[in-house]
Amino acid sequence: MTRILLHDRLDDCLAAWRSSGFRVLAPTRRDDLTRFDEVQGAAEMALDIIMPERTIKDHFFLQTEPMIRYRIKKQEIDTEEMLPPEQKRLFFGVRPCDASGLAIDDQLFGWDYKDAYWFQRRENSVIVTIACTKADDFCMCTSVQLSPDSTKGSDVMLHPLKDGRGWQVVTLTDRGKSLVDGIASILQEDAAAAAPTASVPVKFDVDKVASWLADPASFESHLWKEVSQRCIGCGSCTFLCPTCHCFDIQDEGDTYSGIRRKNWDSCSFAMFTMHTSGHNPRNTQSTRWRQRIMHKFNYYRGKFDVNSCSGCGRCTRQCPVDMGITETLQVISNLPR
Amino acid sequence: MGIQEQYRIEAAELLSSGAVKLVIGYGQGSTPDRRRPVFIRSAEESKQLLLDSYCVANLSGYLVPEGLLSDGKSVGVFLKPDGIRSVNILTAEAQVNPDQVVIFGFDIENGNTKPLSGRKAIDFAPLIESMKSTGLSPELQHEADRLEQMSASERFEYWKAQFAKCIKCYACRQVCPMCYCRRCIVDVNQPQWVNTSSHTLGNFEWNIVRAFHLAGRCVACGGCDRACPVNIPLRLINHRMSKEALDAFDHFAGESADQKPVLATFRQDDPETFIL
Repeated sequence: MTRILLHDRLDDCLAAWRSSGFRVLAPTRRDDLTRFDEVQGAAEMALDIIMPERTIKDHFFLQTEPMIRYRIKKQEIDTEEMLPPEQKRLFFGVRPCDASGLAIDDQLFGWDYKDAYWFQRRENSVIVTIACTKADDFCMCTSVQLSPDSTKGSDVMLHPLKDGRGWQVVTLTDRGKSLVDGIASILQEDAAAAAPTASVPVKFDVDKVASWLADPASFESHLWKEVSQRCIGCGSCTFLCPTCHCFDIQDEGDTYSGIRRKNWDSCSFAMFTMHTSGHNPRNTQSTRWRQRIMHKFNYYRGKFDVNSCSGCGRCTRQCPVDMGITETLQVISNLPR
Repeated sequence: MGIQEQYRIEAAELLSSGAVKLVIGYGQGSTPDRRRPVFIRSAEESKQLLLDSYCVANLSGYLVPEGLLSDGKSVGVFLKPDGIRSVNILTAEAQVNPDQVVIFGFDIENGNTKPLSGRKAIDFAPLIESMKSTGLSPELQHEADRLEQMSASERFEYWKAQFAKCIKCYACRQVCPMCYCRRCIVDVNQPQWVNTSSHTLGNFEWNIVRAFHLAGRCVACGGCDRACPVNIPLRLINHRMSKEALDAFDHFAGESADQKPVLATFRQDDPETFIL
């Protein structure tokens, strides 16, 4: 017997959570885009999709984040720190890859300096994940040592029932437990079986890839140029990635006052490494693509012992020229030993 | 023999004889219905070339990167009429030498590909001229009409919601053959002329700056629209600018290689209705 949440009781859950102070966000389809957005009821949710086009990361690491409001006076500078509003948020219907992405980035944002913006939002959020029962050609979680029902980064895991009536509810953390306690009367005990998780074939050997990348000789390989020839140098793969976390700091305003902001930046852009002198150490797209792969599967792994990739496949799925991480890693994985 | 086979053979011949150093065409993508740009450098590799109704991307942008044509050698490229118009503009703007561009012309009609005869951009002049009166596809026209019928404030709200999705990944710019600036205005940062922030103002700034820079230059290939990972209907903006250029100045972008840029020329009989 497990605890079951029926689809037709979801609205009751949402009402209970909302009345206990949660803002509920779920996958939605609005203005021709699927993304996490606030919902009032289950009818507004798009739970039938493989995954939303935009990641849940957007709500923890903002595209543009105001940090400090400043005013320059004659003798001094007034500054006022700007932090996100304290607000309890519940993310419902997250995919395991997106939830894992948060856990992967926790390490970076909490490493030498604890990023207040990231952790304030992380600590105020509960992640309710739904295990995947379907996948598409671009999904690759199993290739990066995760799976369609990975629990990493999640507080509650829902397993869709075979009969399609609802989900089995599994709590994973204290936060998840207290969330589910709040809807205990809405759940029921049931022996209904869970649907099988999606079958996602393994597309490359990530350990082999990592060891090739770690070999200093690989840095100058001709492979980088070959696999990135058609790359147009946009940032879509990085900005749609659940783990990419690079940013730039910009002051916006006039001579006397303004706001210091933290804005997304991308290693795909030539400007990313441009020096003031005009020299650019990564002056071709192939060197930028190499950086992206090296960062995710060599440097990040070396530092935090985890791939900076959760296998969602958005980088390929939404690439304007049909590139992406998967193909490059397949090429590396298939290299003769 | 089908057009795909014919063009494979021609590509192989041109590469073997050294008439071209490279052929830029379409190859198999990561799913059955995806095609991706491929760079063919030998007769042997020309077998990878595919040509069917999935081959919609305008590949002319790959001609521009610094250095490709600087050795004086020719490059073959698969182009639909929109791509040929791009080559005309790139020629007019001194970005490519049309003598170095060998065109494998084709078009897609009712899901079928058909060859277009010609090799150099100028060979397609009568075809391009005949396109001037073609207009938009019915579905796009429907969308354009829907926007025209909105009140100014409704239209503003529409674009506000669309631009709110923008993540400033610049896929629209990078995929566009007309966006060849070595340093885009948004990347000029001493001072930072355009906000890099993706807030409402920043997103409006970016999308409107781009629309202005494409006025009278967009060939409606739809590349930006397809590339946009957040589904902003960018071609509707560019279409509106093209319509303005056509109605006011009889300017059809890329009509010929000696066409003058519409925003950089002046004629005695230009309408001046905007001058109060």
